[in-house]
Amino acid sequence: MTRLLLIPAVMLALLGGAMVWSGSAVEKKADFTFINRGEVTSLDPNRMSWMQDIRIGYALWEGLYTIDPVTLDAIPGSAFPIDVSADKTVFTFHIRPDARWTNGDDLLASDFIFAWKRMLEVPGEYTYLLYYIKGAKEYQEAFANHFATADFSKVMIQELGPKVLKVTLVHPVAPFPDICAMPAFYPLNEKSMNKFLDRKTLEKTGGRIHQYDLAFTLPPNLVTNGPYELTKWEFKRRMRLQANKYYWDRASVKSPIVDQLSADDIQWAYAKYESGGIDWIPEFDGEIAAELYKRHRRDLHVFPAFGTYFYSFNCQPKLSDGRPNPFADVRVRQAFCMAIDKRIIVDTITRLGQIPSTTYIPVGSFPHYVSPPGLKMDFAAAKALLADAGYPQGKDFPPVSLLFNNESVHGPIAENIRRQWLDHLGVDVKLEGIEIKMFRERLHNKDYAVARASWYGDYNDPSTFTDKYKPDSENNDAGWVNAEYAALCRAADYEPDKEKRLVYFQKAENILLNEAPIMPIYTYVGCYLFPDRSTGIPLNPRQMIVLKSVQRAPASR
Amino acid sequence: MLRFIAIRLLQFPLILAIIYLVTFMLVWVAPGDPFTRTDKKIDPAVIAAVKERLHASHWYTFLGYYPLLMIQGNFGPSLTYEEWPVSKIIGDAIPVSVTLGLYALVVATGAGVAIGTMAAVWRGGPFDWFSLSVALVGISLPSFVTASILFAVFSVTVHWFPIGHWGSLRDLTLPGLALSLAPMAYIARLTRVAMIDVLSSDYIRTARAKGLSRRAVVWKHALRNALLPVLSFLGPAAAATLTGSFIVEKVFNIPGLGAHFVNSVLNRDQTLILGAVMVYSLFLLALNLLVDVGYAFVDPRIDVTAKGMKS
Repeated sequence: MTRLLLIPAVMLALLGGAMVWSGSAVEKKADFTFINRGEVTSLDPNRMSWMQDIRIGYALWEGLYTIDPVTLDAIPGSAFPIDVSADKTVFTFHIRPDARWTNGDDLLASDFIFAWKRMLEVPGEYTYLLYYIKGAKEYQEAFANHFATADFSKVMIQELGPKVLKVTLVHPVAPFPDICAMPAFYPLNEKSMNKFLDRKTLEKTGGRIHQYDLAFTLPPNLVTNGPYELTKWEFKRRMRLQANKYYWDRASVKSPIVDQLSADDIQWAYAKYESGGIDWIPEFDGEIAAELYKRHRRDLHVFPAFGTYFYSFNCQPKLSDGRPNPFADVRVRQAFCMAIDKRIIVDTITRLGQIPSTTYIPVGSFPHYVSPPGLKMDFAAAKALLADAGYPQGKDFPPVSLLFNNESVHGPIAENIRRQWLDHLGVDVKLEGIEIKMFRERLHNKDYAVARASWYGDYNDPSTFTDKYKPDSENNDAGWVNAEYAALCRAADYEPDKEKRLVYFQKAENILLNEAPIMPIYTYVGCYLFPDRSTGIPLNPRQMIVLKSVQRAPASR
Repeated sequence: MLRFIAIRLLQFPLILAIIYLVTFMLVWVAPGDPFTRTDKKIDPAVIAAVKERLHASHWYTFLGYYPLLMIQGNFGPSLTYEEWPVSKIIGDAIPVSVTLGLYALVVATGAGVAIGTMAAVWRGGPFDWFSLSVALVGISLPSFVTASILFAVFSVTVHWFPIGHWGSLRDLTLPGLALSLAPMAYIARLTRVAMIDVLSSDYIRTARAKGLSRRAVVWKHALRNALLPVLSFLGPAAAATLTGSFIVEKVFNIPGLGAHFVNSVLNRDQTLILGAVMVYSLFLLALNLLVDVGYAFVDPRIDVTAKGMKS
C-alpha cells in the first residue's frame, strides 16, 4: 500500500515544485494598462513594421521630427530648430541641447548617422524611405554588392557639429518631416550595442560588416531616447514602460508607468476589460465589437481609419496557368466593380459602421484633397460593359476563382460578392479560401485572378497609397501598368508645393479608379474600447496613439 | 531494470533525430515563410539579407547550422521574433505548461479514482448512474466548450476566480479543471471496470469470508490491483495534459507552450516549430519510460524488459 501512496505523493510534490518554478513576483501597479492583440514583433528600428511595434517605438524613441499626439502632424522632436532650405531639399537639424539617452548619454548627430548607416547596410522593410537622401540608394546597392569598396562619405548625411546634422535630399520631398518621424529614422546608441556586436564577422570582413545580436532590444539592454524606457518584456505576456528620467520633455509624460499586456484571444481581452483595471484595448474588432456597436456601448469608439478594403484584379494578359486573363480587359474590371452593392456588405457582414467606398484613398484623409468619384454602383451599365467585352449575360466567361485567406470576415464577404456577381452579371466565380501565408505568396506572385486585398497608409501623405501602383513598385500585386499614372506620381514627387501636389494625386487616383485594377469595397474603421476615465486617446485615422499623453483620470484612482 | 532504462535512454537520441528530420522536411515543404509578416511585400534583397543572417537561405544551410546548435542546447533565434532565442521562449513556457498539466493530472487521477471506486462499490445505484453520465459528458465535450463555459460562469459571471493572473493555486483552478475533465472521466471509467472485476474475484470473496470489513477489503486488497490499468493510462494522460493544453491556454490566456507551438506553425517559424517539437517529443519519450518503470515498481511480477511490451 505504501508503494501505491508514493505515486500521488510524488505527483503532489512535483506540482508544488512546478508552481514555485512558474510563479512571478509582485510589483508596483501601472498607471495605465492596455491590452495588445498579439506580440510586438520587434523593437529593432530596422525591423519594426506592425502597428503595435511602431506604437511602442514612438514611446521609446524620438526622431528628429516626431508626431503631434492629436493631429499626428510632424513636429520638431529631438531636434529644434530645424532649418529647411528654400527648395526644401536641405534639412539642417540642431539637436536639442537637453536631448539625452535613457542611460544619461548626450544625444548626438553621430547616433543618427550610426543608425541610418545600419539601415542601409542591413536593409529592413522600410529602408527604401531613406532613399530620399542623396547617395543613400547608391550606397545601399554598393554595400550589398561589394561592401569593401562602398563609400559612406558619398551619402549626404553630414555631421556639422556634435549636435548638428545636415541631410540633403535627391528632390523636394513634401512628406519628409512625417517620414523622418518614423522608426526607420530613429537614432541608436552604439555604445550600449557594442557588447552584442558579432566580432567574428567584423574581423572576417575587415571591419566592414556590423552584425548585432538582436538581444540588444531586450531589457535591460535597450537604450533609447524617447519619453519611456523599456524596463520589462516578458514574451507574449507583458511589457512595462517607465518614464525616461532623462527625456527633455519629461514634464509632458502623463503616466509614469505604462503596462502593455498581450492577448491573442479577443474574448479573454474583453472579459479582462469588463473585470476592470484595463484602460484601453486598441484594435478591438470582430464579433464582440459588432455586438457592442449594435448596443451603442459608450466605451466603444468607432472611427474611419487610414486604410481601404478592396479586391485586386490581376491585369496581366495571361493568368498564371497560361490561359488568357479576362480581367486584362478594362471593361470587365469596370463591370465587376459596378455590379456590387457595398452597403449590404458593411451592414450585414462587417457591422461596425465601415463606410462603403468607391475610392482607394479613404475620403477625408487629407485636408484639401478632393477625392475623385470612382465607379458608382450601376447594374445596367455593368451588364452593358460586360456584353461589350464579349460576355453578354456572363456567357462564355472563362472559369476564374476569387482568392482570399480564411481568417476574419474575408470568407463571408467573398461569398456575398460571388452571389452579387452571379445575380448582377451572370458570372459565377469559384471561391478559393486558403491559409494566410499561402495567400500572401500567391498574391505577391500574381498567381490569382481576383483576390481580397487591403492597404493601410504609413505616413501623412497621399503617396503612401499611390506609390503601391507605380509600375516598379514591389507591392503592385495587380500587375497594372499605366504610364500617365506613373508620370503623375513622379510629378507629385518632385513638386514642392503642397496644393499642387494634391492635384497631381487626385488626377492619378482618378485614373486608377477608372482603370479599375482594384475594386474598393469599404474604408476600414478603427475600434477602441476604453472607459471615460481614460484620456489622451484621440480617434485619428492612422490609429497612432502617442503613449506619453495617455492617462487614467486621477479621480478614478 | 537499470539495464532496461539505460537501453531506452540510449534510444532517445536516435528517435529524436528521426523526429527532427521528419519535422524539418514537413516544415520546409510547407508553402510560405516566416519573413513575410504583413500583406505588404518586402524588397527581395531585404528578405535575402535576413535569410542569410539566419542561415535560412537554403535547406542545407539550415540543416548544417541548427542541428549542431541544438546539440549544444541552443535552438537559435525565433525566425518570426528574431530578438527572442527559441530556448528562452520555450524555457519560459515549459514551467507554466508543466504546472497546469500536473495540476490537471493530479485532479483527474484523484477525483477519477474516487468516483470510479465509489461507482464500483455501489454498482447499479444512483451514484453509479450519475458517475457514468458525468463521465460520458466529460469524454464527449471538447475542452474549448468546457473551458469557455467554466470561464464564462466562474470568472466572468460570478467573479469567483480572477481573470488574467498566473501564479497562485486559485489561478490554476479553472484552467486545470477544464483540462482535467476528459482524463478524469476516462480514469473514473477505467477504475470502475477494473474494480468491479477485482471485487468479484475469488480472493476478494475469500477475504470477505474471512471476516474482513468491506472497507478494508476495498482499500487494502482491491484498490491496488484495480489501479494497474489506471497507472498505465497515466502515461498517455500526462502526455495529453502536458501537451494538449493549447485551447485551455488560449481561453484563459495562459502563457504556456501550447500557444507558441500552434502560433509557430501559423507563422512558419521554423526554429520555434522544431524546438517545440523536440521538447514535446522528449516529454513523451520520458513519460513513456517513466510509466514502464512505474509499472514494474507497483507490480514486480511485470517484466517490462520482455519482448512485445507496450511502449
